[in-house]
Amino acid sequence: MRRRSSLPVTFLVPTLAILLVLSMVPTLYAIVIALQNRELSTPGYSWVWFSNFADLFADRRFLNAVWVSVKWEIVTVVATMVVAIGLGVLMFEVAGPRLRNFYCLLFIIPVLLPRVSAAFVWKFAYHPLYGIATYPYRLITGGLIFDPLSKPASALFAVASVDVWQWGLFFAVIVLKLLETLPPQPIEAARLDHAKRWQIHAYVTLPMLKAPLISLMFVKMIESLRSFDLIYVMTRGGPGVATETLDMYAFSQGFIESGKVSYASAMAVLMMVATVITFTMLWKRVQA
Amino acid sequence: MKPGKLIAKAILALAGFLAVFPLVWTALNALKNNVDIITRVPKVIFTPTLANIGYILGRDSVLTGLYNSVVACGSAVAIGIVLGLPAAYAVARYPNRWAGDIQFFVLSLRFLPPVAVAIPLMVIWLQIGLYDTLPALIVTYSLLTISVIMWLAIPAFQSVPKEIEEAAFVDGYGAYSVFWRIALPVAARSLIGAVAFSFVLVWNEFLIALMLSSSNAKTLPIVASELSQQGMNVPWGILNASVVLLSLPPLLFLGVLSGFLNSVFRQKKS
Repeated sequence: MRRRSSLPVTFLVPTLAILLVLSMVPTLYAIVIALQNRELSTPGYSWVWFSNFADLFADRRFLNAVWVSVKWEIVTVVATMVVAIGLGVLMFEVAGPRLRNFYCLLFIIPVLLPRVSAAFVWKFAYHPLYGIATYPYRLITGGLIFDPLSKPASALFAVASVDVWQWGLFFAVIVLKLLETLPPQPIEAARLDHAKRWQIHAYVTLPMLKAPLISLMFVKMIESLRSFDLIYVMTRGGPGVATETLDMYAFSQGFIESGKVSYASAMAVLMMVATVITFTMLWKRVQA
Repeated sequence: MKPGKLIAKAILALAGFLAVFPLVWTALNALKNNVDIITRVPKVIFTPTLANIGYILGRDSVLTGLYNSVVACGSAVAIGIVLGLPAAYAVARYPNRWAGDIQFFVLSLRFLPPVAVAIPLMVIWLQIGLYDTLPALIVTYSLLTISVIMWLAIPAFQSVPKEIEEAAFVDGYGAYSVFWRIALPVAARSLIGAVAFSFVLVWNEFLIALMLSSSNAKTLPIVASELSQQGMNVPWGILNASVVLLSLPPLLFLGVLSGFLNSVFRQKKS
């Protein structure tokens, strides 16, 4: 019954035009800047073409940042999914409807917090002398110092724990809702075959949820790219460069240490290319 | 009760505790004097003080940050509603060849690393003379709000029963009045969830605000993070109070967002 109408054009064109301008202008300009040698301190600049990129690949701190970013992605995505599936299944198994609602409400709270807030909350909690999270350790060992944020080996995991605190708990709620949408018959059938509880989930329910779980993982991979706030507040990339991810390094090159905007932009361009290619390929896969 | 079930319940209870306790503790610390915070054994019983909260609310930088945050996020969300909702409706109800590509384009905006947007924009705003102003921040945030609202509103509009809209057409409604008087009100609940989500997203945004402001346009997250840059000499109670202030607005949407989540999954079931 839909007649020809001007609605799709008037509703879509302005919005898409604005989105295109707002996204393409900075993106293209990032590439332009990356091919120059701009610095914040000096107004002039010239074209240096690809020398920023060549410098990057000789920069060990950059390579370290790539490695830290990869580690960050893997640790946070895997830990988030494990926590989410674990808690989601537990809620599904042992909690009644009212308890489920209660837990769902609690588990959504951390993800709503600004990451800056979450980072502060845990930075205090991890304080070696006065922190609430390190208190049990002090109590048990009789006052030994445990300072997770200042040890290179543990700093990344300590920051990642905050990310998992926010996203793992939230995704647990989604996993529960997904489990609730499943038809009960296959579960009943498995139960009649004397399958154990964990077997039902490992072989029946989770395989049935494969597609949405992969989408969920995809979302988490995208969100994990936004690690900057946590790291900026909690460790500033330290100790040393142990938690310096790409965006942290780009920021410190462009703003804190030297104001090398072009150098930072070259890094941003590489990140952009890598993420756009990776996620476009993954997305097409997920959709297919 | 079987031991396995007991353990499962204990793990859940522990997770629930871990979800909220750090926040509760922060809120308690916001009410403490410094001597009660800097103790090796955490103090649960103390004489509460409102000094920290009073100090925070009395500081110009915090009030300016609050004002900037409210104006920047409010305007960006308003722009997102005005531009995002109609576009989402068009994609949902007037299928065309590019519908899939449009959806992917909108989603792909989320792949862009924030640094890759913030660095060139900083240079651009500096050149136009809009660096460190609210309009610059609002325009930048609009990219976020429009795309997120659009992304979430498309399924919301799709879930409106087609029959209602068809009936309205039969009754002689035009395409625009069907959108205004039928689709918008029917989908309102999910749409409010989408809008609330976009607000939380920009309210919590940090990196772009950090790069696009130096003094005038600082938002609340930036102000809060600066309080801590003065080292641990700043009384912890004050920092905790600022964290609480920063966290309150998103938490106000807890109810709306959990309702939104429920409605999304109820649709899937049916």
